[in-house]
Amino acid sequence: MNEPKKTTPTTRTPTRQMRVRAHLSVILVVVVFFFVSVLRLGYLQIFQAEDWQRRAVSQQLSDTVVSAKRGPIYAADMTPLAESADVWKIIMSPKNISACDWKDLEGVDKNRHLSDEEGRELVRRRIAEDVAEMFDLDEEKLYEKTGKLHSQYEVIRSKVEYNEKTAFSEWAEKNGLNYAFYIITDYKRYYPQGSMASTVLGFTGADNDGLEGLEARYETVLSGTPGRIVTAQNGIGDQMPTTMEYTKVVDAVDGHGLVTTIDPTVQMYTEKYLSEAVEQTGALHRGVAVVMDVDTGAVLAMSSKGDYDPNKPNEIKDPTTVELLAQLSGDELDKKTAEELGKQRKNKAVAETYEPGSVFKVFTTAMALEEGLANENTTFSCKGSIKVPGHTIRCHTTGHMGVLNLHEAVSKSCNPYFVQLGLKIGPSVYYKYFTGFGFTEKTGIDMTGEMSNAGLYHSYEKLSTTVSSLATGAFGQTFQVTPIQMITAMCAIANGGKLVTPHVVSKVLDAKGNVVSETQTKVKRQIISENTSSRICSILGDIVNGGGSKNAYVPGYRVAGKTGTSEKRRTVENKDDVIASFCGFAPADDPKVAVLVLLDDPQTEVRYGGTLSAPVAQKIFESILPHLGVEPSYTTAELSSLSRTVPKTVGQTTSAAQTKITNTGLKATVVGNGDKVVRQVPEAGQSIPAGGTVILYTEKDEVTTVTVPDLTGRSVTEVNSIAASLGLNVQMQGLVGGSNAAAISNRQDVKAGTEVPKGTVITVNFAYTDTQDG
Amino acid sequence: MAQGKTVPMSSWQPNRRLTGQPQGAGRPGNPKKRRFWNIATGFDMQFFVLLMAILIIGLATLYSASHVYAFTYEGDSYFYISKQLIFAAIGVVAMLAISMMDYHVFHKLAWIVWGVSLIFLVMAYFMPSPTGIHRWVSLGAFSFQPSEIAKFALVVLFAHLISLNHKRMKTFRAGFFPLFVILVITCGLVVIEPHLSGTLLIAMLGFMMMYIGGVRLGWLLGILAIGAALVVAMVVVMGYEQDRIAVWLHPMESFENQITFEDGISGRDHAWQTVQSLFAIGSGGILGQGPGASRQKHLFLPEPQNDFIFSVFCEEMGLIGAILVLLLFGLLVWRGLKIAMKAPDKFGCMLALGLTLQIGLQVAINVAVVSNLLPNTGISLPFFSYGGTSILMLLGQMGVVLSVSRQSRIEKR
Repeated sequence: MNEPKKTTPTTRTPTRQMRVRAHLSVILVVVVFFFVSVLRLGYLQIFQAEDWQRRAVSQQLSDTVVSAKRGPIYAADMTPLAESADVWKIIMSPKNISACDWKDLEGVDKNRHLSDEEGRELVRRRIAEDVAEMFDLDEEKLYEKTGKLHSQYEVIRSKVEYNEKTAFSEWAEKNGLNYAFYIITDYKRYYPQGSMASTVLGFTGADNDGLEGLEARYETVLSGTPGRIVTAQNGIGDQMPTTMEYTKVVDAVDGHGLVTTIDPTVQMYTEKYLSEAVEQTGALHRGVAVVMDVDTGAVLAMSSKGDYDPNKPNEIKDPTTVELLAQLSGDELDKKTAEELGKQRKNKAVAETYEPGSVFKVFTTAMALEEGLANENTTFSCKGSIKVPGHTIRCHTTGHMGVLNLHEAVSKSCNPYFVQLGLKIGPSVYYKYFTGFGFTEKTGIDMTGEMSNAGLYHSYEKLSTTVSSLATGAFGQTFQVTPIQMITAMCAIANGGKLVTPHVVSKVLDAKGNVVSETQTKVKRQIISENTSSRICSILGDIVNGGGSKNAYVPGYRVAGKTGTSEKRRTVENKDDVIASFCGFAPADDPKVAVLVLLDDPQTEVRYGGTLSAPVAQKIFESILPHLGVEPSYTTAELSSLSRTVPKTVGQTTSAAQTKITNTGLKATVVGNGDKVVRQVPEAGQSIPAGGTVILYTEKDEVTTVTVPDLTGRSVTEVNSIAASLGLNVQMQGLVGGSNAAAISNRQDVKAGTEVPKGTVITVNFAYTDTQDG
Repeated sequence: MAQGKTVPMSSWQPNRRLTGQPQGAGRPGNPKKRRFWNIATGFDMQFFVLLMAILIIGLATLYSASHVYAFTYEGDSYFYISKQLIFAAIGVVAMLAISMMDYHVFHKLAWIVWGVSLIFLVMAYFMPSPTGIHRWVSLGAFSFQPSEIAKFALVVLFAHLISLNHKRMKTFRAGFFPLFVILVITCGLVVIEPHLSGTLLIAMLGFMMMYIGGVRLGWLLGILAIGAALVVAMVVVMGYEQDRIAVWLHPMESFENQITFEDGISGRDHAWQTVQSLFAIGSGGILGQGPGASRQKHLFLPEPQNDFIFSVFCEEMGLIGAILVLLLFGLLVWRGLKIAMKAPDKFGCMLALGLTLQIGLQVAINVAVVSNLLPNTGISLPFFSYGGTSILMLLGQMGVVLSVSRQSRIEKR
């Protein structure tokens, strides 16, 4: 107002154009731009909201899987064969490393001035160095891992043992690095018995998943159900305080345990003798032994040698193979290693087939007897070979040429006899029983990898049209079966004609030990009559007692069985390769267990099943029958052969006396340090059982005494074992030939509680409780 | 209350007088002075209330968004909010003080302010920076972004020049050319920092002021067309900023696929902020997760107190809250327009317009960035994002607008 003409409001104020343009500009910003923003936000928050929320929630939730404890596997007597133990998994969260202060590191100069970047570098380096050393890892790779800024889950090491875990936590604590690591509980599989029954048990992989054997077959039963812990987590993986509705905890359900039918004692002996045999014969394609309960089909022992240690499933166990592999490198090494690993893991009892050879004559005999087409006295003649259309079949020996009856033919394993018998039986009966004994189907044993022999045996059409296939099939050549098929069929021969389903698992237990399910004996069919069964048992028992299978003979037990030496025609280029096998059972008059022994491609001079496999079976029978509670029944001849007269050794030098006593079939125990025997217990001339102990005293004053136990009311086996454990000798009275299973001791000549010198002979009287058989 | 009724009349009078007396503010005279101290009667109350509402919501949001991050990385939940509160308090006081100054003082200071802002921009370029980004100037314990000053300087200088030469604005020599040169110099210094969003904001602001000031639209559109063509050429033909473009166009693909971009950083890292922002906004839905209930602020969204604070707000308050805040900003800008239209002179008009448009543009660009409508360039949300100098500058600029409003002939309630 002081100078109104100079600056009037009308000229100073915004012009009309300015006003219009200002309005347009503001409208552009506030209306158009803001409106577009709102449209965009609405699109994100209404139409795409669900999608974005889902993605957001998935990163806001930490879904931790809680491992379920894998169920244990037990032997029949509850000896643990496979167990799960607590171990730990160490996880690094590189994202959280930036939250760790380098000044907390042990032994750093805290006065240094480092930028954030340099500090972080220091922490990363320290982690890489120390952890790499602790767990024997590659430092550079670890260092790279620490640089994954957005990762929260880098597995450093799984299956860390308690001590390692503790050491690691202490280290992390000391260096202020707790924030960057998680330790998660996990489980590790242990096989406390080492390689025992390894091909049966199988093993587990890195994620505790069953890869072979029972571990794989019963994966769903053993593994349990992993639990989940879903929690809200923040951007660096820590707990997020929030009321999100998604959080939940699902407990892990531990896996069920398995009780197998494997008897550790039987398994132990079976493996021992089989591996000895495989080693001695140099069987190129390994060996198999199976022990089965003839009535239930329960597998008491099953072994393929060489096998492996399931604790270290990726290690080759066979030393010669290891040597061989050491010479290879690169792809060749990898290929060969994989091949050898596959080989040693394979359960040969179920996963491979073989030509049964003469063992199959048992079944040809069974069908002939069952159908009444032959009896024990049916004769055919052997001329050393026989012609069938297109082929000439030789007998393995010319030693028994002439007329043979069935009994002799089985005993001498005469091929021409069985060719003629097979042709008499004819294709339809042969095929009916071939199928009936289960040779055309899987046995259904609860194991992984049971191989089907489909296509490896003669079809009915083939048998009816080609005479040679029936002729060779009758004595076990030109077709293949699995070992498990063979022993299952042999069980049917032994148990009165019932073909059962073999099994390894008897019970499934829950985590608390309650029985969840139990395996019942499954009889598939009655294939031969009980009568036929016992007739064959008798024939097979006889041939072990002096026939072609006599190497399986076990004193006190009537073992029945048949040996076989088969040519591996189908699988191997070299037609000379053979399989030496034995399949039998005991006792012959009341079969309890069946044993199959098979040596694939032995490298010895003599390669008959009778010379290689039957002795293995014999040793197995001898060791396991007393353990299984099968009482020996000695024949009179056996009994007399079992008694020994104690020789006179007093006055002789200690070593001479020992030799003398050992040669008599007794054992000598020397007491004292003298040079000469001054006294012996029992005295010379006394009769004691073979294997009894003679105590040789070399110093006068020395007398070891023992207290005589009460030996009455016990079985023959029990009396024997008690006496042997105390160093006493027992003379048994009142026993006759035949079964001694029912004999019980009722008297002893030295009273229980008496102190007697070690080696003293105690006479024990027995009486049979089953007078019917008496 | 009784006095309040008399406000419109009594305040209108001296203001009208003031329009003719720019120096009046400093003049002695009790009645005038008392009214000047009386906030309610002195400046535009609507603008002030809207501003305070935005500021309070902004501060509340800052606390909600920053406390987890602050606690984790600074060990103190209140690390950011306490500093911001102090600066906001100082800022409000400064704003009130500035509002009492006569804005015409900037007529004289225009070139100096601009010159100083250029010096700072150049200084920033020579500041040591490990990342190669020179957006900050540190003077002792005090550090600030010179581009914040440059924005203000540009508005002041343009207002000054436009009000001086408004009659010749249609000419090339006096209208388009000097303004364009100033704009190019300012933008040039900002773009080399590099600070793309700052450049974009300043350029848009400059163009709008030129347009309002009366520069021929044809020239502006021509320059815009040339600029757009240049940008397209740089991106498409020369392959500039391809990583950024890839993340912009395909955020989830970059985030989820195991790809490494040309700079050696994974696509996941490049897209992280954008994708986390989308997670947050989307999670909010229409109604939001509720105040304080954002989950993305729990260290998913990097630096949630800075440029991406609005996505936390969207997550907590939903689309409704977002619209409300945009509405407040819109009203603020609209009120700024009203103040400008009633300003006593063209300088005041352009000043108020430029400063409020700057807020509006920055809000629009920020929302476009957090919702991935524009590539991620790094632009803060006024009155929300953390930053001491930023809030000081903003409130100071609002003080200038309020100062204009004191002399505007509008009803101030």
